[in-house]
Amino acid sequence: MPEYDVLVIGGGAAGLRASIAAKRAGASVALLSKVHPLRTNSALSPGGVNAPLGSDDSAQKFADDIMNAGDGLCNPEAVNALAAEAAGEVVWLERVGVPFNRDGDGRIDRRALGSGSVERAAYADDRTGHMVLHVLHEQFQRYDIPCFKEWFVTSLIQDAGACTGAVALDHRSGRIETFSAGAVILATGGFIQAYRPCTAAVGTTGDGLALGYDLGVGLADMEMVQFHPTVYSAGRTALISEAALSAGARLVNAAGDTVVDAAGLSRAQLAAAVDKAGRNGGGPVSLDLRPVENVASRFPGAAEVVRLMAGLDITQVPVPVRPVAHRAMGGLDTNASGETSVAGLFAVGECAHSGVHGAGRMPGNTLTEAVVFGKRVGEAAAAHAQSAGTRSTSTDQAARDGERLAAITSGGSSGDTLGTIHRELGDVMHANLGVTRTDAGLAEAQETIRGLRDRHGKLRVGNKSRIFNYALTSHLELGNMLKLAEAVALAARGRNESRGAHQRSDSPERDDTSWKAHTVVHQQDGAPKLDRKAVSA
Amino acid sequence: MEVTYKVHREDSQNGGESSFSTYQVDLPEDATVLDGLQKIRDEQDDTLAFRASCCQGTCGECAVRINYKAQFTCTTRIADVTKKGPEILCAPVRNIPVIKDLVFDMDRFTWDKMAAMKPWMEPDDEFAPTENLVPESEMAEVRKTMTCYQCGLCDEGCAVLPVDFDFLGPGAMVKGYRFVMDPRETGPRQEERLAVVEQPKGLWDCVHCYEANGKCARGLEPSSKIMEMRDVSFKHGIKNEKVARHHNSFINSVKQTGWLDERKLVMETEGLTNIGGLMKLLPTAVRAMTRGKMPGRHEKRPGADQIKRIIEKAEESK
Repeated sequence: MPEYDVLVIGGGAAGLRASIAAKRAGASVALLSKVHPLRTNSALSPGGVNAPLGSDDSAQKFADDIMNAGDGLCNPEAVNALAAEAAGEVVWLERVGVPFNRDGDGRIDRRALGSGSVERAAYADDRTGHMVLHVLHEQFQRYDIPCFKEWFVTSLIQDAGACTGAVALDHRSGRIETFSAGAVILATGGFIQAYRPCTAAVGTTGDGLALGYDLGVGLADMEMVQFHPTVYSAGRTALISEAALSAGARLVNAAGDTVVDAAGLSRAQLAAAVDKAGRNGGGPVSLDLRPVENVASRFPGAAEVVRLMAGLDITQVPVPVRPVAHRAMGGLDTNASGETSVAGLFAVGECAHSGVHGAGRMPGNTLTEAVVFGKRVGEAAAAHAQSAGTRSTSTDQAARDGERLAAITSGGSSGDTLGTIHRELGDVMHANLGVTRTDAGLAEAQETIRGLRDRHGKLRVGNKSRIFNYALTSHLELGNMLKLAEAVALAARGRNESRGAHQRSDSPERDDTSWKAHTVVHQQDGAPKLDRKAVSA
Repeated sequence: MEVTYKVHREDSQNGGESSFSTYQVDLPEDATVLDGLQKIRDEQDDTLAFRASCCQGTCGECAVRINYKAQFTCTTRIADVTKKGPEILCAPVRNIPVIKDLVFDMDRFTWDKMAAMKPWMEPDDEFAPTENLVPESEMAEVRKTMTCYQCGLCDEGCAVLPVDFDFLGPGAMVKGYRFVMDPRETGPRQEERLAVVEQPKGLWDCVHCYEANGKCARGLEPSSKIMEMRDVSFKHGIKNEKVARHHNSFINSVKQTGWLDERKLVMETEGLTNIGGLMKLLPTAVRAMTRGKMPGRHEKRPGADQIKRIIEKAEESK
């Protein structure tokens, strides 16, 4: 059985950074990822990576802005860590190769993400995530860390209360393997594929959240789902960075009149405003990028993706946009070192909830979170593994997982399909757990999701092979999303107030008396149970 | 619209012969080829294997040969590939072992070759408190090269890979170029990098057919980048010993006689003390001689002194 001090699950920016940090801290490390690291969702993060690099900026100002955007739900310890360590991480990224855009002095240039915000995002055109991901993967190779790519983790192993490894299916050989580890880091990304449409890669199905949830870790603030305000979405999806707005792009109606003034709006407010304007009868809202000077060279990623997916030329015509599910802020409840309630189990990146984003993530903080917390959590996990005593990792669970997979692949067609259930889930999440929610809509969503879980439970896959059996892994992914969707709906229904990304038209006010608190969903006898947890001072 | 997918099927683990499966699929006019493949797997045949990730032309995961042209399934519209008929032929990209259906061995195809480029920086001042100062014009060039997806489309078009699968290929060369041309890697670092790029089966094995230039989805012109790196290598002194000997022999021959003396070229390239290598050439030499393809000696051609001066001038301006 392969044994490591630290096993990292998930090959995106956070997982790569954590692997590098753990290795540098002296641990033996391996990374498991269901896709090659360069194909992960991190590549899709265009806008930038925040760090207080300017002479007019400081860690304190950065922290204050994050706390403000988080609308009362931030964990100050996590926020202060992010703000304090961001500059060092971004400079390190530059030193090891990220080709950030430069200012007139040859220093890392910075820009505002969204209108009216501070110029704090270091950027590489509008392909920052791609560049950061590729450079992190370069460094990952430098440290010669074993990479089990195209391995799908089927469960975590627990022994005497501690997480001691994982079971995974190798797409290529079809083999199920037990990995023993002193510490496991979940860095699997969010669950935004539960929404339709969404901006995320197909693998963003919340696998890590479900793995931790099954082990008893709470899911915090799951109702906080960020919608991106400037996304082309009509069958296919193309995200345009909000940096375009601060560079002069306008949100217009069919007549070309400005319908939303983005100045000073948080991302949630902007999404709500675009959503509302789109329903006001003035025709679809469009993002007019033509006022942006040298738009094609400053936003080559947007020009390319809009051309490919929408068939439109951003230098010639406005692009129809609408708010689309983009980024989960809820996740596995962790402290500022990524520790969960289960000893030896850590979480980082979009699958984790350290409280760094509160109820509203600042654009540009996803990549910052990935690198700052990736490093912190990698080091914490290495320290845990090195101090942990002997462990026992049984292979019994691999046998049980094998039986579970065999049961899934035991059937033929029942008329129902994974795609149908996934589409119905995505539609109800978009409609009822979208930019604005109501109690009635949430109740209906809960009912629908329960029904979809039943149908999914009965659905079988006909393909019995284990080799690149994507129908099998899609079945597991959909099961994960349904489980998490249930938690999202429960938490959203419980929080009968409006705050950050969670806007209730039937409870439009922020209610600090009852709800200056995190929602936490635990699994009890297979059903979600909602608790609340005080926000750290 | 109703289209017919004809999809390559293969299961190398089970030693099966390759074949094609045909599916009728009803799709919206603006659907992509990927939409159709997903629909087939969901509704008709859940054994079909293909890769996909971002679904918006951003990640490079879904390269497939569609109607004989390698491209991404997620950005290719069915309307664009059915103009001559309703059939969409999907096959794995060329030059590469298939694992299952449209899933091919990216390790051997691309990832291992990328890794052979030692694709990482190890700066001495890695943890310096401030960033490198670099003019934007230079950084913009590096950024452009770094848009490379590492998707393998350029390798798919390579003329060398079908005859020598161990050739690193244009994709890995672009990765090398990204470092060779990075203004942050200078001095000894750049020399080390050139030595890596010039490894056997590397920079000098390209036959400059320029096919890769037309294949890159991001217009990076990999073939031209290989030629640019050769120029850099000339300027720094060729690191690959055999290529350096070939180069020197070529220049000396033309300089001295105005001709290329191919007998000397072949022997000097192989190395005059490399008896084993020279022996291998013997049968070719004998055949050439018996067929009158080998002149007795190369007389100095008229104007040779002028040619020599041209070469010397060029060498001065290097």
